[in-house]
Amino acid sequence: MAITNPVEIIKGAISLVIGLGVTIKAFFSPVITTQYPRVELKISPRFRGHTKLVADKENPDRTPCIVCGMCEKNCPSGAIVKVVGEKKEGEKKKTLTSYILDFTTCSQCGICVEICPVDALAFSAEYNRAVFTREGCQFDLVKEFEKRNAR
Amino acid sequence: MMQNINNIIELVGWEAIKLIIGLIGVLVVVVVNALVLTWAERKVSGHMQRRIGPKEVGPYGLLQPIADTLKLIAKELLTPQNVEKPLYFLAPVIVFIPVMVSFVVIPFDAYLQVKDINVGILVILAFSSLSVLSILLAGWGSNNKYSLIGSVRSVAQNIAYEIPLLLALLSVVIMANSLSLKDIVESQKGLWNIFVQPIAFLVFFIAGVAETNRTPFDLPEAESELVAGFHTEYSGMRFALFFLAEYTNMFIICAITTTFFLGGYQGPILPGFVWFFGKTYLLVFVILWFRWTFPRVRFDQLLNLSWKLLIPVSLVNLIVTGGILKL
Amino acid sequence: MVEKILEEIKASLVTAGLHEASYAQNGYHLSLELQTGNITDGAKLFMANAFYLEDLFCVDYIDYLELVYFFNSYKELYRVKVTLKVDADKPVAPTISHIYTMARWYEREIHEFFGVYFDGHPNLTYLFLHDGIDHYPLRKKRVPVPDEDKKLLNSFKPREEDDCFFVNLGPQHPSTHGVLRVVVKMDGEYIISAEPVLGYLHRMHEKMAENRSYLQFLPNPARIDYPGALLLNLAHVATVEKLCSIEVPERAHYVRTITCELNRIASHLLWFGAFPADLGALTPFMYAFDDREQILDILEDVTGSRLTYCYFRFGGLYNDIDDTFIDKTKNFIKRMRERFSMYDKLITGNVIFVNRAEGTGIFKQDEAIKYGCTGPFIRSTGIPYDIRKAEPYAVYDQVDFDIPTGTIGDNMDRYRVRMAEMEMSLRIIEQAIAKLPTGPFKAEKVPKKLKPPKGDIYFAVESSRGEAGVYVVSDESDTPYRMRWRVPSFSNLMTFPSLAEGNLIADAIATLGSYDIVVPEIDR
Repeated sequence: MAITNPVEIIKGAISLVIGLGVTIKAFFSPVITTQYPRVELKISPRFRGHTKLVADKENPDRTPCIVCGMCEKNCPSGAIVKVVGEKKEGEKKKTLTSYILDFTTCSQCGICVEICPVDALAFSAEYNRAVFTREGCQFDLVKEFEKRNAR
Repeated sequence: MMQNINNIIELVGWEAIKLIIGLIGVLVVVVVNALVLTWAERKVSGHMQRRIGPKEVGPYGLLQPIADTLKLIAKELLTPQNVEKPLYFLAPVIVFIPVMVSFVVIPFDAYLQVKDINVGILVILAFSSLSVLSILLAGWGSNNKYSLIGSVRSVAQNIAYEIPLLLALLSVVIMANSLSLKDIVESQKGLWNIFVQPIAFLVFFIAGVAETNRTPFDLPEAESELVAGFHTEYSGMRFALFFLAEYTNMFIICAITTTFFLGGYQGPILPGFVWFFGKTYLLVFVILWFRWTFPRVRFDQLLNLSWKLLIPVSLVNLIVTGGILKL
Repeated sequence: MVEKILEEIKASLVTAGLHEASYAQNGYHLSLELQTGNITDGAKLFMANAFYLEDLFCVDYIDYLELVYFFNSYKELYRVKVTLKVDADKPVAPTISHIYTMARWYEREIHEFFGVYFDGHPNLTYLFLHDGIDHYPLRKKRVPVPDEDKKLLNSFKPREEDDCFFVNLGPQHPSTHGVLRVVVKMDGEYIISAEPVLGYLHRMHEKMAENRSYLQFLPNPARIDYPGALLLNLAHVATVEKLCSIEVPERAHYVRTITCELNRIASHLLWFGAFPADLGALTPFMYAFDDREQILDILEDVTGSRLTYCYFRFGGLYNDIDDTFIDKTKNFIKRMRERFSMYDKLITGNVIFVNRAEGTGIFKQDEAIKYGCTGPFIRSTGIPYDIRKAEPYAVYDQVDFDIPTGTIGDNMDRYRVRMAEMEMSLRIIEQAIAKLPTGPFKAEKVPKKLKPPKGDIYFAVESSRGEAGVYVVSDESDTPYRMRWRVPSFSNLMTFPSLAEGNLIADAIATLGSYDIVVPEIDR
């Protein structure tokens, strides 16, 4: 290491001063962070939050789900716990009554959204679903759909 | 009442009273300095990294150091099982005493100096060497490999950098013809020493940064290599004492640099101590600036820097200064 | 070179099955079958011809176990698959770890997961499963571990010796290497020996692949290598497409290339933030993450995720890109080029950094073959081996870029190679955006339940760390029979003990930082 060479020392000292210049410029530059809880972030439309049921185009009170179970069979992590439906009077296809999503194992891969033959699932934009118990992570998508419709 | 106070003054002596008031003042300065520096370090590091530092606790995070202090006081004082008890408990106490003594001789203003000892700088240098002892005690007493490595590195580093520190100061001392800090400040009435002795200023500043174990010379606390170096096993208030000592050391080095090279408390219009604190905190900002810009120097490069570069340069500087003064 | 090696093989080795395989169909050029008697001769022959050991693993065909060796050359692409059948009841094979040093870890892994005993192996203990196992995990039937092997487990305690002490670097680190533990034997500041201890992040992706269909395995590659998730996603998807002969439209190829290169820049930026942090400079981490946030925002608008992407599908993409993506990417490219000069001023020119990085961790070119290293690690020693040029996939043969190489192979060269690679990635993205065709983004008729034809295939991509390869054996059902992931960090990390020996611990940590390893990849 050429520590006794005066030219090297001067060049080294200059490189240190240039580095200092970069940080002092950053010191006086505006801040790039967003102060999260005080300032809300804008979520992009394709953001993958947890899945949600969409409304049927003709009949906005219900979902197009036909309880085929494709999403449940194809989920890699077994996050869709049980898709339960019943056949109501006078209807050809089954109606969905219970759809539990276990969010502790969901990896937001999108296979259930893509593979649904009637496009009944979509990604929501929710990211603020932290809870204190494991039971709180079992999302009941039918209840959430009904709550959204009631508003 | 006035008669009683006069009696006490006659009994104890005016000097002793001045000393006690001065020590209380020093304690206040030390504590306030530690609080200010904790806040300043986090704010400066934040803005250099394009983020804001603390902001929630008080406006602009000004009450953050108080929150930190309360947290540290409330923490459990964990003592690991196999430590060497006397060394482990003694180390945080010893690290703090030398810095307090060094404050006694620093001239904050023309008449704001606790005691103007006529060998002032020797007192400071002697007591700052004692702080190495406390690091050694902390490392050995912790009974932990990382602490041991950290403290051994620190001892070698401190010994290596004491010498350029001393030699740089000697150049100023022989120009001012006195070891007393007050006289050195007074001798800079016409021209500050930084213009007369730039090389000594650089050598002293670099050696001073190394003495206080700050980046780029912070191997004893190298975070990514050794967890936390010599203070790995300390938690709570004991850890706070180490940090208090580090910040106070930083302040002392900057204060000495101001006294020796930047004219101390001299300056127009504003009162002396405002100039003194202004210059000192400017240098403290520079040390903080170094920490957030440079990576760490490796151990053998550190020792090479001291023995092969700083000592020869400061020796040559001393000889040239002596030669010019003689002629 | 091809004829030369064919002649040598025919002359010196007695082989049962030697046939030239179709590279387009199987991903390798030649397939050899050797016996226990001449596998070491075969390995010596390949070593003499400067072939490196790309991968070594085992497949359980219930009646017999088949050890598969892949050899490849840095100079010219010629992949050779060598198979060795061993008996399923008493699986014994000779070791090749005295010829190829990398085989030491590969053979330990096979011993742990399949129960194959290698004669002459210096240290045949477990590699990943420290808590002990009852039966061999990757076998198709349940084969219990014999009791005398169980005693070897949990035996990793370094013996106490005088004049030196053992230090654990990790598994909890203040630096972002991941959950890697290195047991270092030190004498003062100097390292006498360093041994990585793996398995803290082992999740058995290869077993998961056997229990899930090809479609269901899609989220997993992103968890194997999280900074470069799209690149491994591409490896998985392209392998299955090649196996099932699915045609991918041009637009999908271009978009795959653009997003993969963006991900490569993001991965290199993560390394760029972490490497000076190992040396003590904590500020570049924040600046690098500022740039990385721009990339993550761009990719989030398209794929919906920020780190573990599951964007590619068999036959194309999950959804198409739009014009805002292209505009944002163009702005990003312009901004990134200006940031490079700032990084040069802050880090590359800094005398303290240069003195820490130059001359430390020097890896010589001729050692590379024994370990099978790939990626920026080997390009810094001067070997210009890049899968994107050697066996182009996606659109890499239609864009123009160079391969940056170093000269000495020290930490500074690795740093420079990665900075130059980021610039090359920007060039590739620019050209790909300029040539982006219109059209469909997904192939038309892709069956929902993919049942590939019988056969095996090997496919490699250039991930940000080196060559990441997938080997799939298909048995016409919708789950793979065996899926093997060849990961670059595994073979790169094996060189660390030899680089760390005799050096200061500060240098060893800087070297470890310059490897850019990702531990989930090593442990799979």
